[in-house]
Amino acid sequence: MNRCRASDWRVWLCRASMWLGLLLLWGTSITQPAAHAEEVGDRWGTEEREREYYPIVSIPLPADTVVESGAFAVLPDNRVAVGTRRGEIYFIDGLDAPKPQPVFRQFAEGLDEIFGLAWHDNALRVTQSCELTRVTDEDGDGVADRFDTLSDGWGYANYHEYAFGSPVDPQGNQYVALGLSESYNSYALFRGFVLQVGADGRTTAVASGLRSPGGIGPNEQGALFYIESQGPWNCSCSLKSVSAGSFQGHPASFHWYPFAPELGEVPTQPKSGSRIVTERRRVPQLVPYAVIFPYIRMGRSITGFRVNRTQGKFGPFENQLFLGDYTLSILMRATTEQVNGVWQGACYPFREGLSTGILNVEFTPGGKLLCGGTNRGWPVRGIKPFALERVEWNGRMPFEIERITIEPDGFRLKFTKPVAAESAAQSGTYSLTAFTHPYHGGYGGPEIDRFTAEVTGVTLAADRLSARLQIDRLKPGFVYEFDLAALQSSDGEPLLHRQAYYTVNEIPQP
Amino acid sequence: MPASPQKCNMIRTAWRGPKPARARAALTPRGLYRTVAWTILLLGLLGDGASIAAEPASAPAGEDSPLPGNHRLDDVAAGQVLLGELGCAHCHTGLPAQALAPKRAPNLAEVGSRVSPEFLQRYLADPTDVHRGTTMPDVWGRRTPAQRQEIAIALTHYLVSQSRGTFTPEATDGRTIDQGRRLYHTVGCVACHGPRDDAGNPGTTPAANENKSDAKPDSAQPDPAQPYDEETDAEEADPAPSQRAFRPIALSLAHVPTKYSVASLAGFLHEPLAVRPSGRMPEVKLTTDESRAIAQYLLGAEPPQVAPLAPDPRQVTAGERYFRELHCGNCHAPPGAAAAPPVGGELPSQIADRGCLQHSRGGPIWYDLDESQRRAIHAALAHRDRPDQDADVVAKTLVAQRCIACHVRDDYGGVHPSHDPHFTTTEPNLGDEGRLPPPLTLLGAKLQPAWLKKVLFDGESVRPYLGVRMPQYGEENLGHLPALLARTDTLPAVDWTIPNPERESDREREREFRKAGRELLGNQGLYCIACHNFNGKEAPVNRGMELTSSYQRLQPAWFNAFLRNPQQFRPRIIMPQSWANGVAAHKTILDGDTDRQIQSIWYYLSLGTSAADPPGLRGIDTRLTVGNRPRMHRGRSRVAGYRGIAVGFPGQLHYAFNAETGTLSAVWRGGFVSANWSGQGSGDFHPAAEPVLLPQDVSLLVQDDPPTPWPRLPVMTKDNRVNPDPLYPKNLGYQFQGYRLDREGVPTFRYRLHDIAVTDRTVPAGDEPRNLLARRLQWESPTAQTVWFRVLTGEIRQTAEGEYESGRVRLSVPVSIAETLVREVADDPPPDRPRSELLLKLNLPAGTSSLELKYEPLPRQ
Repeated sequence: MNRCRASDWRVWLCRASMWLGLLLLWGTSITQPAAHAEEVGDRWGTEEREREYYPIVSIPLPADTVVESGAFAVLPDNRVAVGTRRGEIYFIDGLDAPKPQPVFRQFAEGLDEIFGLAWHDNALRVTQSCELTRVTDEDGDGVADRFDTLSDGWGYANYHEYAFGSPVDPQGNQYVALGLSESYNSYALFRGFVLQVGADGRTTAVASGLRSPGGIGPNEQGALFYIESQGPWNCSCSLKSVSAGSFQGHPASFHWYPFAPELGEVPTQPKSGSRIVTERRRVPQLVPYAVIFPYIRMGRSITGFRVNRTQGKFGPFENQLFLGDYTLSILMRATTEQVNGVWQGACYPFREGLSTGILNVEFTPGGKLLCGGTNRGWPVRGIKPFALERVEWNGRMPFEIERITIEPDGFRLKFTKPVAAESAAQSGTYSLTAFTHPYHGGYGGPEIDRFTAEVTGVTLAADRLSARLQIDRLKPGFVYEFDLAALQSSDGEPLLHRQAYYTVNEIPQP
Repeated sequence: MPASPQKCNMIRTAWRGPKPARARAALTPRGLYRTVAWTILLLGLLGDGASIAAEPASAPAGEDSPLPGNHRLDDVAAGQVLLGELGCAHCHTGLPAQALAPKRAPNLAEVGSRVSPEFLQRYLADPTDVHRGTTMPDVWGRRTPAQRQEIAIALTHYLVSQSRGTFTPEATDGRTIDQGRRLYHTVGCVACHGPRDDAGNPGTTPAANENKSDAKPDSAQPDPAQPYDEETDAEEADPAPSQRAFRPIALSLAHVPTKYSVASLAGFLHEPLAVRPSGRMPEVKLTTDESRAIAQYLLGAEPPQVAPLAPDPRQVTAGERYFRELHCGNCHAPPGAAAAPPVGGELPSQIADRGCLQHSRGGPIWYDLDESQRRAIHAALAHRDRPDQDADVVAKTLVAQRCIACHVRDDYGGVHPSHDPHFTTTEPNLGDEGRLPPPLTLLGAKLQPAWLKKVLFDGESVRPYLGVRMPQYGEENLGHLPALLARTDTLPAVDWTIPNPERESDREREREFRKAGRELLGNQGLYCIACHNFNGKEAPVNRGMELTSSYQRLQPAWFNAFLRNPQQFRPRIIMPQSWANGVAAHKTILDGDTDRQIQSIWYYLSLGTSAADPPGLRGIDTRLTVGNRPRMHRGRSRVAGYRGIAVGFPGQLHYAFNAETGTLSAVWRGGFVSANWSGQGSGDFHPAAEPVLLPQDVSLLVQDDPPTPWPRLPVMTKDNRVNPDPLYPKNLGYQFQGYRLDREGVPTFRYRLHDIAVTDRTVPAGDEPRNLLARRLQWESPTAQTVWFRVLTGEIRQTAEGEYESGRVRLSVPVSIAETLVREVADDPPPDRPRSELLLKLNLPAGTSSLELKYEPLPRQ
């Protein structure tokens, strides 16, 4: 068990509380564990090159206004709504201007830590810590006047109980991801669950086993995913697929099954210290991590995510997931695919150097990525207490691994620019190592069982925009770490980010 | 050549002073008078005897230098700057390699909508006279005034025809003008254009005032009018850059009122680089409103009205031909277009004062240069073999982009004394450090490379107390600077290794450094946080630079050197020297070891926002106040539960509603609430005055007989924190449904009680000052049914019919209630205080019915 490593912003106090509880039990007179400060981790070191393709534009905020963004939604009139930790909702006009001078109009205030916004049916659906609320401006004066509770069907009674809301799906359903009360405990109803608030108004349970979610929404194919934080039963942050009746790995919420008959039988208790591939066989409801983000190298506290559907306005990464990280103030990409009915995929570094801890992201109507958050309370690399920033593509094509997909005997890598044949054709150009994590109740955990995968064959596509790698060992349950330092584009450029990480759960049939 | 009315990069006007009378005559804005004006102008020229270039004889100190500002460029280097500023490479080949890249002329794409056609025509006819100091040359050669006019008219028609918009003057408004005046004199315009008096004329700076005897030098400042005396200078032991007399940069704006409309000038100020890509006029981070205010100010209360110009096709055709024949496109290439081929031939090392360098008009092209500038250009051409060091390129860049107007670097640069009063601060006690932009000495060794780029290109800034703003010059123009600075600016490296708390061998050192760094910053140590904001919390004494950003911004070697001797970097900084001569002022922390103390601070700051607050720093709750409308705040609170809602009224009487149970749970008078948004605070609130607490258990039950005991909130203990009754009070029929705000902003809560729809609205009531809250509940019930309402607990006393008191609250209920029941609470009353509860029995009819209660908080006894 390695309790000292994590600094996930949602986890931090859980751990403090856990220690506090232990200390109280032991009857000591210490009242509070010393604030555990820590360095937040190494940088990728690519910031200066990233800015040549994806500059960051600071969004000016109204004077004397604190905007700690927790959620965004694009409105039908192309304004963007932002909901804040301080419970305010602003409608922002003019975010896409080359030199933004946006106009902020306060739509509502006094709500409770907003981590979900969705426009649906002429109203804004707001996920607050206490409830999911439909907020309407009935008299049309631009300010909300009607607040209808759509669901408060979960317990909310402990310090760290945040709620994250998804967009509304095509069937009119919405999902709320509920973190545990503490890293190891679920004290209030359905903490550790995903609930569905259906189009019919009913609230039902969809999944259990969450630990500390940071965001929930559809992936590029419309399937529901959430992002999980590193901690117990999770050695790294990961994207996970949320299917009905699924168990997401942390058993602390099992005792709420009697209140959710729709979930069926309580899953078998997973064995701590095992592997996810092993436990998947024992616990049928257990869903493996679809995309593992190796801890610290790829985020420490990943938060909101959105699919890029900008039709090229954001550059070469159409239909990919973009995710923010709170602690490291970075953005990452992810791609997913379904193999043998199971979701898996890859993650890629994208942009570092944002100014504050990123709590959520949203694509603007103009195809720019709006990022916002705060650095208050938990370790964050970005130095601003709060900020709104816009990452935009300046039209220059970065040389990047566009995506990695799996093949029966290896992987297919797509690139954003044609690669130089001489380097790309050599198997030595592709350095692949694989590791797995223990699946255990300890806090975080190491990368273990590491091995080097030999690239036994490279087939370069005629357009030199993709390469198919055959490798000697393809093992389910392992994260394949790509390092393509030697790869060059046809114009002699090295990759902007040489690393990428593919999580293998299933291997397709030939 | 086409008009270049957008020219801003005047080289000489800086020390010229206001326009002479003949130039003013040329400003007469009516075509009818143009010929007359021209005659006057030419007479003036002839009558002047000397060429315009001789005029600097009346210039103040330092006139012999080819460039204004506190630069230290010799003639060769200044000539290299001029070759770039004058755009020589647009027409010539063979420039010295050391010459700066040619400044690009304004983008003319929309000049017809940005610039008054009247000005355009006047300017084109004689650019150097209409806008003194423009870098646009006179391209008319030996043409007669009439021919100039003819060509200028044609070019104007052509340029206007190329623009999509039309030039539209508009009226200004006085209040905005005042705001513009303040902004102009605060945000940094003064640095390059000088202060202006109330009439909009260049201010009383000696440099900009022809009548120098009237100038009153600031007694606290060195007299800038004092002629630059090389002997004196040489005798002094290298005076600080700010103390050396030099000519201020003060580019004339006299032409502006007749040139722009409010909208076009505001647009230009907002995004100057869109028109002038070389960034000599940088972007000062103005909002659209600010840009507009400055534009109104510069244009004055009564900008001239200009009739729109309808392009005449014949004139347009002629203008297009002139544009081509005069090679206007060599300098005014449209963005993205390939550069026109050079037309001026190769520049030799030795040239006579002919052609562009001719002393007076008459050659094919004429630049309004003075002797020192010609001398510098000759020197640059003659010494083309002189090697260019990185430091030289830095210096030339800082001079060309006028960084030196605000910043000191090494022995050059700095604010001119006549501009100095306009560098302001919100933190006067920080001295000049809080007021003047930071020195650029050792900049490349000071800032982390990524941070430097953020400041230069992404608009980052960390000194909110400065009135002046760090402008943006465009990456295209300063992109070469970071790499140069990294080479020129070095400090002895430090071999600090940041302890890694995850490494066993580092753990002890990590703990020690973290503790020491925290102590040193706190009020028992060096008390750095007295004058430095820390982690978003304001310092109690002076609100100086935020410390938690240090590790992101600074290089450790610079941090080390700076802490050891801040005064070496900034002689008058108020920051104390805590390790004078390398000896630590604080002896007990880390045994007074200077190196380890400084390292420990660096390590502590490396923790960024996760660093525990140093002793002496306090987080503060945010006071929420109620304006002229009611205000709501949702959040957890001991007075209203996790699903708590505070409702505040302008009259200082407030209540809290527990939405989880549907109870009015607290009432108080005074301030509204404090919300905790510091650190990890989730906005949890507490009343800003002592509240009257009411029970938070569910209060309404549909039942024929009162339940015994009343169903209470589930209790979680430290030993068993799992909610034992997680469906409470939904399993008792209660479901919160939200609230609506009326026109006044008063909320009406809505909830269900089984099949009964309830609305619940509370407002201040009673005589002024309203000191009680009236709560009206309305039921919509499908059938007649009985509801029990638990309204009060505690030591309940009935004081009148329908009037009860408990603690500090008086509750009034209608006398028509079916049954009121005061009963003892059986479960766990404190032994010395028998507790009771007041229950109301309500017989609801089918349909709508209502009940009104009054809550009156009583003064403390």
